[in-house]
Amino acid sequence: MAISLLVADDSKLSRRSVIKSLPPEIEFDITEAANGKEAIAHIQDSRYQLLLLDLTMPEVDGVGVLEHLRNQGDGPDVVVISADFQPEKQRTVMALGAKKFLRKPLDSEELAMTLFELGYL
Amino acid sequence: MSSVIPLTEDQRDALQELLNISMGQAANSLAHLIETQIGISIPKIASVTPNELFGLIQQNDQAFYTRQSFLGDVHGEVMSVLSRKGLKEVAKLLEYEEPLSKEDVQETILELSNILAGACLAGLSEQLELNTNLNMPTLFAPHKATFSDLQWENSLVMEVQFDIEFSSFSMRVVFCLDHDSFNRLTQTLDELLG
Repeated sequence: MAISLLVADDSKLSRRSVIKSLPPEIEFDITEAANGKEAIAHIQDSRYQLLLLDLTMPEVDGVGVLEHLRNQGDGPDVVVISADFQPEKQRTVMALGAKKFLRKPLDSEELAMTLFELGYL
Repeated sequence: MSSVIPLTEDQRDALQELLNISMGQAANSLAHLIETQIGISIPKIASVTPNELFGLIQQNDQAFYTRQSFLGDVHGEVMSVLSRKGLKEVAKLLEYEEPLSKEDVQETILELSNILAGACLAGLSEQLELNTNLNMPTLFAPHKATFSDLQWENSLVMEVQFDIEFSSFSMRVVFCLDHDSFNRLTQTLDELLG
């Protein structure tokens, strides 16, 4: 069965890059969100297993999405994919419940390893 | 900034994302050095005339200004606007001792320009596989400078902002490209977008 995946990033190029980096051996049912507000709306409307989340986004940023998920309770597994990889930022998102922090530009092997660690592969 | 952006939506999106990645690398370099978190903005991209650029740069007298030219596959200028507010705190984080001399303040300004603007340009060039060489920054006063000598009808301006946590310091970095460099950049972006 396909894994329901939400990709939230304000950059179309980045969303395309993330989707292209997904391991081909897993089937995904993919939804895209262009900012944090859209991501939250999608999460409220549907149930996702996995969220690949950028941090620097307009409207609501990635930290805002994580805060929303923490307040909501049972949510998707969140993997943050961000160019802002300062140690303090990584600690913040992990404390808010993200499962993993990956740096941009995204390395497809690192993504595959993360999905393996999370039990999707 | 002017609303006329001579880029397609895909080119603008790609450039913004590449700049975002470069800013992350730049912020991480400085954060590592001063052990403090740096806030980064969403990059702004626009096209401006030299006069509009003057207005964009010269916002108030509560700032220091540097400019540095770059040459290579693309060429242009990087201008940094550093707030006077909070600069002393940053100088202390860079391990300058109080009381700060005029030279200490100048060195701090030039060092910050070099680290943030330099890393941003290096990151962008690397991702686009373009060669660029950045010259050393120099301080300048916008009210005494003239941009009318810049032979640009329009220049592409990429603006990013860094904020240093626990201080009121902020810094804006504006990249300006001339027409030929702009064409080279769009060509490279199109190749990337495939």
